[in-house]
Amino acid sequence: MSNAAEQVEQEEIDLTGANQVIDKYLDMHGALMPVLQEIQEVYGYVPEPCVHLVAERLNVYSSQIYGVLTFYAQFHLEPRGKYIVRVCMGTACHVKGAGRIGDTLKDRLGVGHAETTEDLKFTAEYVACIGACGMAPVIMVNDATYGSMTVNKMNEVIDKYVKMD
Amino acid sequence: MVNLTIDGKKITVKKNATIYEAAQEAGIHIPVLCYAKKLLPYGACRVCLVEVEQMKGRLIPSCTTPVTEGMVVTTTSDEIQKVRKTVLEFLLVNHVVDCPVCDKGGECDLQDLTYEFEVVKNRFEGVKFDLPKDEVNPLIERNMNRCVLCGKCVRVCDEIVAYGSYSFINRGFETKIATAFDRGLNCEFCGQCVSMCPVGAILPRPFKFKARPWQLKEVDSVCGYCGNGCTVTLGVKDNKVETIRFNDKTGVNDGNLCIRGRFGYSYVNSEERLQKPLLRKDGALVEVSWNEALEAVVAGFNGAKNAGGVGILSGARLTNEEFHLLKKLAGTLGSTNLDHSGGECYKGLTEGLQETLGLTASTGTFPQVEECDVILSIRSDFYETHPVFGMVINQAVKRNEAQLIVVADKKGKFGTLPHAATLLAKPGLEVNILNAMAAVLIEEGLAVTEGVENLDALKASLAEYAVDKVAAESGVAAEALRKAARQLAAAKKSAILLAYGLPYSANSKELGIAAANLSILSGNAGREGSGLYLCGEKANSQGAIDLQVLPGQGGLGAQAMLAAAGEGKLGALYVIGEDPLTSYPDRAKVEAALAKAKFVVVQDLFLSPTAEQADVVLPAVSFAEKDGTFTNAERRIQRVRPGVTRPGEARSDAEIFTALGALFGSTLSYTGPAAIFADLAQAVPGYAGIDFTAIGAQGVVWGGEQLAPTRKKVVPVAGGKPVTSAFQLVTGSALYHSGTMSTRAKGPLAVIPEPYLELGREDAAALKVAEGDLLKLKGNGVELQLKAKIGNRLPKGVVFAPYHFASAGINRLYRGEAAVSVEVSK
Repeated sequence: MSNAAEQVEQEEIDLTGANQVIDKYLDMHGALMPVLQEIQEVYGYVPEPCVHLVAERLNVYSSQIYGVLTFYAQFHLEPRGKYIVRVCMGTACHVKGAGRIGDTLKDRLGVGHAETTEDLKFTAEYVACIGACGMAPVIMVNDATYGSMTVNKMNEVIDKYVKMD
Repeated sequence: MVNLTIDGKKITVKKNATIYEAAQEAGIHIPVLCYAKKLLPYGACRVCLVEVEQMKGRLIPSCTTPVTEGMVVTTTSDEIQKVRKTVLEFLLVNHVVDCPVCDKGGECDLQDLTYEFEVVKNRFEGVKFDLPKDEVNPLIERNMNRCVLCGKCVRVCDEIVAYGSYSFINRGFETKIATAFDRGLNCEFCGQCVSMCPVGAILPRPFKFKARPWQLKEVDSVCGYCGNGCTVTLGVKDNKVETIRFNDKTGVNDGNLCIRGRFGYSYVNSEERLQKPLLRKDGALVEVSWNEALEAVVAGFNGAKNAGGVGILSGARLTNEEFHLLKKLAGTLGSTNLDHSGGECYKGLTEGLQETLGLTASTGTFPQVEECDVILSIRSDFYETHPVFGMVINQAVKRNEAQLIVVADKKGKFGTLPHAATLLAKPGLEVNILNAMAAVLIEEGLAVTEGVENLDALKASLAEYAVDKVAAESGVAAEALRKAARQLAAAKKSAILLAYGLPYSANSKELGIAAANLSILSGNAGREGSGLYLCGEKANSQGAIDLQVLPGQGGLGAQAMLAAAGEGKLGALYVIGEDPLTSYPDRAKVEAALAKAKFVVVQDLFLSPTAEQADVVLPAVSFAEKDGTFTNAERRIQRVRPGVTRPGEARSDAEIFTALGALFGSTLSYTGPAAIFADLAQAVPGYAGIDFTAIGAQGVVWGGEQLAPTRKKVVPVAGGKPVTSAFQLVTGSALYHSGTMSTRAKGPLAVIPEPYLELGREDAAALKVAEGDLLKLKGNGVELQLKAKIGNRLPKGVVFAPYHFASAGINRLYRGEAAVSVEVSK
């Protein structure tokens, strides 16, 4: 209608889950964080239509919600992979070649930090210390930890998960 | 009061002042970047750090620290200067220094501070910002590379505009100010952020590369659009209005403006402005001299004498002085057919309030509303017609936790405010709702009855408007109605708001009476700090009523004039500053009137559709070229000052009326607006004793801050019946436009370039309509085609179309009803 604004295509998603989450917190003042956290639990990330829905129902500005979502590392605005591969880049891992491990992941799956494969199977994340420096370099795939990584071992781990559903 | 010492100077200030405010009052300079008078203290920039004896060991931000008794403050010392300089160095690390091409150059706070603290080199190094500019919309450009993160735009958009476009996004070094999802701006485009930005991060695009700030001549005038009466400070260069400057020192608006005031000035500079009179010769309008045009008018009016006389239709954007001269001219012509609004929508004031309270104006002033604890807004369109008054209400609700009740047929901006209750009714039932609320007050013994006349008659009439019955037919919950009435009765200070205007012709008198009844019964009428606000749509709507630009004894009103003209019973029609064909209800009636009237004169800025039908067209001048006064909707008389000279041979309405009067034998002549005002001050009761030359920066509110009712008479008033068709059309004002004049201004047109039909999501889904699709709208035997606009505002079955656009022909369909039964199809 107006030529003063860019037109944005909204993704179509089922908002039932988000509405149920909001219903729970509707009468609680200042419940934006738990609402967003639970919406992320439902969808795996916080889809844009949910942001506008929360804005409308909790009477906060969309921009404010976006500010919160971009402030905390825990929130994700894009769909994430089934397997989150965290490559530790802490000091110990760094000196023992974590860079090469990250590169291997990038070469094999084509995803760098905070990127997700198109089939939504893998998301790579380069993180600061995981807290397992004794077995540096370390990676985590979801909740499983793999230590003393080498390029070959990294390839094996990737093969294992590629075969899984 | 609190006593403190700043830089050895003893100062006494009010208890809730901050150190910065105390220093300001004492004339002591403290530099600031993120402080703004109208925003809440924030303390983001750390430029205003000072030393406080009682808080040794660290420096204290003066803009957020309240004063305490016996405080000893030092505002400058070597240490403080060093810290401030360091803060500036930090700011300049990433700030892109492109002053030579930055439009803010010369009035940039950062530039001024850098100069003041002589920051010639920077000890720190870092990467300059390289963020993309937001140039999506044609009005506001955002260049975040120049941003200093003071947060003023975020705060003004939240605290005052209540729109919330901006937020701080990301974290740490990456922090920047952005909209949701970091997209281009898409908002009300009021430009409040533009006026607040201390640097060149947010700028008005129309002003780009037009002038350096110091080259502009600044002229304080009053906005010519709506009844809010905002001060606009015209920035003039080479006889062109190049921009509107920020000014929070003059007038009632605190420097707040809406899109119309801030970006709607371009029609003044338009190439399409009429520059010479036009006269119809051989069927075509041709340019002629003033003498020839005026002679034609004299001949035409003389010819009309025995053919039914002259009918005068005036707009409500003339100055008070011009209205006064128009009245004199009508007297000279011997015509009592005089009116100023096609829909006669002012009847809520002239008849409704007159009958109940004995007044014809709002009883309070705008700033009082900020202190009210309960605000009742009748019709949600109040924000659309008076956005800046709307911002006062935003602040009352957000800052002072006023309870807001909105009686409306569509959701609106007000409904999104914290804890606002929207009583969403079917269109055309506002009077019923107000009656039901009055019934609750009486039934529950909450009503003020002392000194109230006619109470028994009202009680009897309210039997029909029992809460449950009204709730059932209007769709508003009975409990919500009861609660609203109780809140209103319990309020210590309350405000009742109702906007009137051309697209709101239906039930204007009834709504005025119903609002006044509620005002009387809830104790709002005549109480200190409370007010009943009936606000006109145009810049001088209130002036037109004060000066009685209304049908005289035995005279015809606007609608009667048009009807008479249509039947060939009116000799001549004189239309001043109005475009009835576009904006009056029932276009067919206006068309017939223009076709059948023997002689039509139109006096306007542009060749409007109405002017195209005229026999004579006289070129008038705009508000930016006039000298005089406007009276805004709160009775504030303010000076309108000329900023630019008029185009071509255009003349002010005052000059035209005087010239015409002289040709008809009037001997009246005035030396200027001051003399005319002196004359009209004797004729208009409320204006007595007001001196034109003494009208200062804040204007003069005639009748004082509180206008006391001369009587309290409640009057029974009949409500409406709900329209039962599947679709109902309501018309009204779009936020971005005002009357038909804004459709000639680039700013408002950039956002709303064409007419549209707004419908709710539910209806859109049922009709399988997408944004921008053409829709057929059928009703009253007329079919129109309009583009669809889909939004959240409208309930199922209600569609809305703004009335501003000539091409839309909304008034072919709309004939002054509260709601029109229509059919909508793809």
